Amino acid sequence: MPRSLPLLLALLAVSPLRALGADEAEACLECHADASMTFDLEGGGTLPLTVDGGVFKKSVHGEQGLACTDCHPGMTPDHATGSLPVKTRHELARKASEVCRTCHDTQVAEGIHHAPIGRGEQGVPACSECHGAHDILRPKEFRTHIPERCGSCHVQEAATYAKSVHGSAVDTNDDVPVCTDCHRVHKDADLSPGALSLRTPIICGRCHTDSKRMRKYGISTAVVSTYLADFHGMVSTLQRGTERGNGVKLAAGCTDCHGVHDIQKTDDPRSRVIAANLQTTCQKCHEGAPAMFPQAWLSHWQPSPKKAPAVWAVRQFYRLMIPFMVGGLILQIGMHLFGVARKR
Amino acid sequence: MSVEQAEQIVRFSRKRRIEHLSVMALFVLLCLTGFPQKFYTHRWADVLVHALGGIDWVRRIHHLAGYTLAAVTVVHFGTGLAGILSRQMPFSMMPTRQDFEDVFQQLRNYLGTSPRHPLYDRYTYKEKFEYWGLVMGNVIMVVTGTILCFPIEATKFLPGVLIPAAKMAHSNEGLMAFLVITIWHIFNVHLNPDAFPFDPAIFTGRITRERYEHEHPLELARLEGRPPPTRTEASPGHGPAAGGEERA
Repeated sequence: MPRSLPLLLALLAVSPLRALGADEAEACLECHADASMTFDLEGGGTLPLTVDGGVFKKSVHGEQGLACTDCHPGMTPDHATGSLPVKTRHELARKASEVCRTCHDTQVAEGIHHAPIGRGEQGVPACSECHGAHDILRPKEFRTHIPERCGSCHVQEAATYAKSVHGSAVDTNDDVPVCTDCHRVHKDADLSPGALSLRTPIICGRCHTDSKRMRKYGISTAVVSTYLADFHGMVSTLQRGTERGNGVKLAAGCTDCHGVHDIQKTDDPRSRVIAANLQTTCQKCHEGAPAMFPQAWLSHWQPSPKKAPAVWAVRQFYRLMIPFMVGGLILQIGMHLFGVARKR
Repeated sequence: MSVEQAEQIVRFSRKRRIEHLSVMALFVLLCLTGFPQKFYTHRWADVLVHALGGIDWVRRIHHLAGYTLAAVTVVHFGTGLAGILSRQMPFSMMPTRQDFEDVFQQLRNYLGTSPRHPLYDRYTYKEKFEYWGLVMGNVIMVVTGTILCFPIEATKFLPGVLIPAAKMAHSNEGLMAFLVITIWHIFNVHLNPDAFPFDPAIFTGRITRERYEHEHPLELARLEGRPPPTRTEASPGHGPAAGGEERA
């Protein structure tokens, strides 16, 4: 179509950018609306070349008025040369992510999959393989699709998650976390061994200390504070920044007892922390822990006359004893000094 | 009379000086490695833990110091008990009725309602209180510390809830011991106006006869084979300042 090129250039000169995007899309869609339009890739497989203009318009970039050539730079109306510089869809996606970087540089560069792609690892997704291309949604809209997207590669984890208390409710409940609520994907990914586990009190605590959210399910919001008050919480706090391995054991975080992708309600027989399973769970770290060992953990209860009265009684004793003892001794020191001052 | 010329009396034997020195060093070490674990959310605790090589090292040092202090305590009890039972050693730390009378006499004297000052034997009620406080505190720390070191073995025959109870007791007893030592012990031995700023007696083992006469007249009389000074006569006072008045 050699005639339309000067027309397009003329449009470029006179239209404001937004109108240009729409007009340009219209021009591109003259060909690309064709649902049968495909390209046979050299490396096998077909690449659909169809773009649904309606879907794109509703996508986050369509709403922003981005033009086709913003992401497909250098495409002219006569680009249908019959050849592509890539052999597979993945190669195409990787090439496209360089385009994504022109706006989303840090998200790409610090993305969890970026380094393995750089190392040439196979099967690691580039931007559009998770986010899509012409149908990119806002993060909030994308949320419920995340387990499925991640699950297309992380099959085992997704299957386990789908059966968990969180995963089984993901379609109907906005409160449950999806993959990316716990795993940081685009920035500060917890890659060193144990880093994610050490951060679980913070990660899980984001929802589990939110009283508004937890009230709906009758779950205590003291789960983090009671964890921190215990031995594991103390050690894991002081272990921040420590890596697991080389004889370094990390203190148990939330997921070490409750499970990771398989977290169940605490009264579910499958739960790792239900009384019947707790001894086995403790034994993961405490080899040979006897039957009475799990009672050493107060199950997130704060000591009270009803729960753990022995611990409560010891605490009350010292709450009285320490001020009484120290106050008494200070009083006597005061009297001593008074006596000395009086005699002088 | 200058200090150089003053007649010195050995108050603490070599064995007692070594015992005090080891307990002191271990106590400092246990505090340095214990309190960052109790107050772990504070910045200083984090800094201290990292300076000591991380929480694993802090715990190793704490455990080793704890075992050593337990051993010192056992040796102290063992030799003390053997000495007392074989009548080789007087049970001079035994609290007596006189100690309770001394408390009230001493406080009346401080407040000015009685001019008399108690006449002390080898150990004053303050020293006995501190000794028994330390010894009993040590027993609590050793027992709870052992439970915390061996939770698996402990729960083979004890209910599991004893472990958090032991932790609660260990942590609070440790804090109380620290407060009693830093406030009461340091005041009584170093900061009180008679000794200020520092009393080296527990390190050198010796104090002047003059001071002995004022602080432990009953023991001195017994050491020198004299009859004890009667409690009804006017007190020689407590420490060098009061002693000066007496000489005048």
